Amino acid sequence: MWLVFLKEIKELTRDRKTLFFMIALPILLFPMIFGVVGYFSSKALQDAENKVLKYAIIGAEHAPALAEGLASDEQFALVEVDPSADYAELINAETVEFVLEIPAGFTRDALQDGQSVIKLYLNDAGVNMVQRRVSKLTDDASQQLQQAAFTTLGLSDNQKTALLEPVVLEKVNVADQRENWGERIGGLVPYIIFILCLQGAMFPATDLGAGEKERGTLETLLISPIERHKLVLGKFFTIAFAGVVAALITVSSMAIWGMVLSQGMAIEMVAEFMGAISALDFILMFLMLVPVVSIFASVLLSLSIYARSFKEAQSYMGSLVIFVIVPIILAMLPGVELEDGWAWVPLTNVALAIKELIKGTMDYVQLVGIFGSTALIAGALIAFCVHWFNKEKVLFR
Amino acid sequence: MIEIKQLAKKFKVENPKKLSEQEKKDPRLQGRFFHSVKDVSFRCEKGQVLGLLGPNGAGKTTTLRMLSTALQPNAGSVEINGIDVMKNPLLARQKIGFLSGSTGLYGRLSGRENIRYFGQLHGMDEGAIDRRLEELIELLDMADFIDRRSENFSTGMKQKTAIARAVIHSPDVVILDEPTTGLDIMATQTVLDFIRRLKDQQVPVIFSTHHLDEVAELCDAVTVINQGETKFSGSLAAFSDLADGSLHQSFLTAIQ
Repeated sequence: MWLVFLKEIKELTRDRKTLFFMIALPILLFPMIFGVVGYFSSKALQDAENKVLKYAIIGAEHAPALAEGLASDEQFALVEVDPSADYAELINAETVEFVLEIPAGFTRDALQDGQSVIKLYLNDAGVNMVQRRVSKLTDDASQQLQQAAFTTLGLSDNQKTALLEPVVLEKVNVADQRENWGERIGGLVPYIIFILCLQGAMFPATDLGAGEKERGTLETLLISPIERHKLVLGKFFTIAFAGVVAALITVSSMAIWGMVLSQGMAIEMVAEFMGAISALDFILMFLMLVPVVSIFASVLLSLSIYARSFKEAQSYMGSLVIFVIVPIILAMLPGVELEDGWAWVPLTNVALAIKELIKGTMDYVQLVGIFGSTALIAGALIAFCVHWFNKEKVLFR
Repeated sequence: MIEIKQLAKKFKVENPKKLSEQEKKDPRLQGRFFHSVKDVSFRCEKGQVLGLLGPNGAGKTTTLRMLSTALQPNAGSVEINGIDVMKNPLLARQKIGFLSGSTGLYGRLSGRENIRYFGQLHGMDEGAIDRRLEELIELLDMADFIDRRSENFSTGMKQKTAIARAVIHSPDVVILDEPTTGLDIMATQTVLDFIRRLKDQQVPVIFSTHHLDEVAELCDAVTVINQGETKFSGSLAAFSDLADGSLHQSFLTAIQ
């Protein structure tokens, strides 16, 4: 069996395509995604921040201070428009970025005039900072009116604060940092790992089953005096191994680049979060993955040996991804907890258990049941795979 | 010595609509089953070369696959030097060397690694593999390319490697399924020389072919199969006597 395993591994490591997809891509891909996304989003925000905004103001005479503030700011450029024009048309034709409509009787004294509503017309689809930038000016005006009113009333600081917000609701989160973060990202971790394992195992699986048929090496292999189950297990371990390695490489790459790129405070937070998860929990998570990867590997190998060619195998495996994604997505849905029926849904239960382990709220007794049932499924699938490899109609299609 | 008696093999027809017109007319199609091989018997003595002839779809490949244990017969028996192939498939596989015209190599392994792998699968120890490999490299003149990756081999190189792989364990019987189909003249010659050498070493060889000149050149015995049944089995001389003149006429006479 190990003879077959070693030979398959040797062959895989000599394949540039496999190495590229399994190792180079995850190592290079993540920094690239992080980098590109980071670069473009920060650039878009910066552009929005620095762009000179063309504006029109209607009823400037009602709030001269505000109009003056806008006009003196170099980041805003005034465009004269007809007050009766259709604002939406002006904005969509990009004549102006926004139109500010100041009502007649704009508040001069908050205590007498009451509240005023200034209307800001803009196209808010897409990245823009219009509201934020304009609100800086209106907030200033607002605050000045507030202060003036407070002074007129002769209020103390304490009274001012109470008046602005008489009742405050303060949140005290008793969930520790770990549970808090675990709930947020705990669902994502099994999703990423499962998909990576499946993807990583897919290419070698195609090669080891359908590939043998297509190259015409299968028949020779079948009539060599090695027992069929050893042959299957040798191939099975290769596929499982490749899946785990691919997942580990990608996860490490993600972790390392994530830390490098998010430097400083984030590192401390990540380190703290990771530090809170005990070694035992990490080991348990890894152990939970073993039967899952076994399920993937045996299903992939069965599909691959059934297929007549690479192409056929790939189309079968493509549809397999959907079957795997659904139970994991279920585990990410809010309200789906490791209780009642969910503990018995294959894959979903493992995804939920990994989430619980990350959160640190796992009931370890339940883990035994989940591990046991998943291992049972995996064992049955491996047995099926061996049986499948003994069927003439599968091998000589 | 290898002896085959009343071998039969049927395949279940999964989807009758997918059968070709010719297959639908074939009398071997009975209900849900296609009786690919119905009754094939022949024997090949030590030092003999037996040519297996028959039109396309006659059941040659199925017969040879049963001989090589890749397929399980539904009836009949195969014995190699007294070993029942069906009862002891693992033991039988150690006695058989098998090669087909469509066989492939693991492209990312070198020629040497391809051959070694099968030596290891046959349970040979490292020393024995090395000694046998050197012998075969010398014999088949493979020293120039044996350590290169086999994906870049020419057809001739591939065929030499496949031959060495088939006989790395010094089998008692060698079975060849259309070993020269699709090969160029030089590669064909390599295969024919190899068969001749086996004959000199008293190893029985069974090979299927469509080339009657190869039969005339190498075979001691001939078996003709048509529609899954043995139509003729005897010496080359007896086959030749079936009709006056050419072996082609003899073949046509045999399958009628």
